[in-house]
Amino acid sequence: MRYITFALAKGRLAKHTLGLLEKIGITCEEMKDEKTRKLIFTNEELGYKFFLSKATDVPTYVELGAADIGVVGRDTIIEEGRKLYEVLDLGFGKCRMCVAGPASARKQLNDGSLIRVASKYPGIAKDYFYNCKHQTAEIIKLNGSVELAPIVGLSEVIVDIVETGSTLKENGLEVLEEICPLSARVVVNEVSMKMQHERITKLIHDLKQVITE
Amino acid sequence: MGQDRYMEWDSSGGGLLHTPGGVKDTYGVLCANKLKVQDAVHNVLRSYGFRDIQTPAFEYFDIFSKERGTVASKEMFKFFDRGNNTLVLRPDMTPPIARCVAKYYKDEHMQLRLCYIGNTFVNTDKYKGKLQEVTQAGAELFNDGSSDADAEMVALTAECLLKSGLKEFQIEAGHAGFFNGLAEEAGFSEKDTAKLRSLIESKNFFGVEDLLDNLTVSKELKEIFLKLPDMLNNLDEAIDFVKARSKSEMVYKAMERLKKLESIIQSYGFGDYVTIDLSMLSNYNYYTGVIFRAYTYGNGEAVATGGRYDGLVSQFGKEAPAIGLAIVIDQLMTALSRQKLLGTDIVQGIIILYPQSLRDVALKNAEEMRGKGKIVQLVRKSSSVPLEEYKEYAKRMGIERILYLKSEDETEDWGILI
Repeated sequence: MRYITFALAKGRLAKHTLGLLEKIGITCEEMKDEKTRKLIFTNEELGYKFFLSKATDVPTYVELGAADIGVVGRDTIIEEGRKLYEVLDLGFGKCRMCVAGPASARKQLNDGSLIRVASKYPGIAKDYFYNCKHQTAEIIKLNGSVELAPIVGLSEVIVDIVETGSTLKENGLEVLEEICPLSARVVVNEVSMKMQHERITKLIHDLKQVITE
Repeated sequence: MGQDRYMEWDSSGGGLLHTPGGVKDTYGVLCANKLKVQDAVHNVLRSYGFRDIQTPAFEYFDIFSKERGTVASKEMFKFFDRGNNTLVLRPDMTPPIARCVAKYYKDEHMQLRLCYIGNTFVNTDKYKGKLQEVTQAGAELFNDGSSDADAEMVALTAECLLKSGLKEFQIEAGHAGFFNGLAEEAGFSEKDTAKLRSLIESKNFFGVEDLLDNLTVSKELKEIFLKLPDMLNNLDEAIDFVKARSKSEMVYKAMERLKKLESIIQSYGFGDYVTIDLSMLSNYNYYTGVIFRAYTYGNGEAVATGGRYDGLVSQFGKEAPAIGLAIVIDQLMTALSRQKLLGTDIVQGIIILYPQSLRDVALKNAEEMRGKGKIVQLVRKSSSVPLEEYKEYAKRMGIERILYLKSEDETEDWGILI
């Protein structure tokens, strides 16, 4: 039997996903050992392999066929813009992609003038400002703690994921516009979907049932 | 010690040694293997009556414009000629060949079969692990709108892949008119149709459901759209399901056509390699009828694509139905090599090693042997190089044997790699 390889985004998402997979009978004991330094885990019996990677890399592994199936947030899927099958909404990891900033920035968002936007998601930010709002924006790519940008004057607003909004609030920022809702998705490689059609569709079907229960 | 290695990298002269990202050199065993695969595919195409055609590597931008195009404008390599016209490196072979047909065969109304091998260029993002220049081999069949032509092209794809050495692959076939017919019947706007298309293309059916909930569409058509992913295994069942819910002539015709394709493919004996998928969408704007893609293990993309494009040639001024296929040789090579179906070394050729005094003998021998189809490489022996070194060299290069001319009538035959 050929292996089916899973790429999981490190962190909470992976834990949650492994829980779901366990419910449909796909387990990986090796992975539960938190001290392990192994990078790839195998369930020989059922023919599955698993590895953890940085969330932004999951679509890459799946598109190029190094993994057959991936679980990753929709934010990453949109930002990376890769050719993938997005087959299932797992329903957890729910949050929103938003434009946030100090309340005073609202005026600039509305009058269409040049605005500076800091984000870990330059692709999404650009697409939103250029193609949806039709506003010229100077997009500044950051790699973390994006909330800092409007506070220290690097930009007027930010585009980032908002879950509860408490980080924003603590720093005197608020959600100004909502771009789209987000949650964890199952993505599948185009070729794997054809070549391992039966196994993969069954897996998706089973997952779907567990989620709706 | 303690020096910054990065600063030591020579960024001046060394830059000449590597290629830009996205393109690559092909040499040694890899090149030999690629040509072998290319020849195998080419021979199959020719054996089906296709004749070679060559078109330029770059053309006017308009040849690949949105209506005819296969890749977005921003993904083409563009430049200008002296008259300030926009030129592009061809991203695809089909539009130029359609142009040729309208130009050179404008009065021919019977079957026209053309095939090609050439490189295509797509200006994709860097660091995405994708090639920007790939070799494609393909065939285009003009002036034949029959379902027999559809089936022949799908069968031809299967045969090309088999002859290239591939054993396990799947060809998926659908019909561009199926989705277009449904979208037309539902009366979706162009924008919504595009949205729906991209969702179905990425098999995002929870997204499809979301979108349809927000559009006005009959319950029956909605059922069809949502059922698409499950319509893979039994074509008859799928057809019945759709017929009970859609009244679109276009949709009926598309299904009829796929039904015929399925049965003719059986006659070719390739039934096991082909599945019909109604939810398959055409990724190229010019496809009007049957479309297909071939997949195999070992790489993340299709190794071959094809489809019917009855409206393309008329854009160049000649009415001609047409169907084509393209095999992406570089993708095929990746798959073959990952499936360990390629040879790992080349052993060929004979070296004639001769001292300067025996040049005439060597030339005569070489000519004779080449006449018999042997591969012969002449090497003049240098008095300062020991014989051992020539043997080592032959081993490195994968040479079968060395014929060492000692004197007019004494030759030593050293088998190296036989």
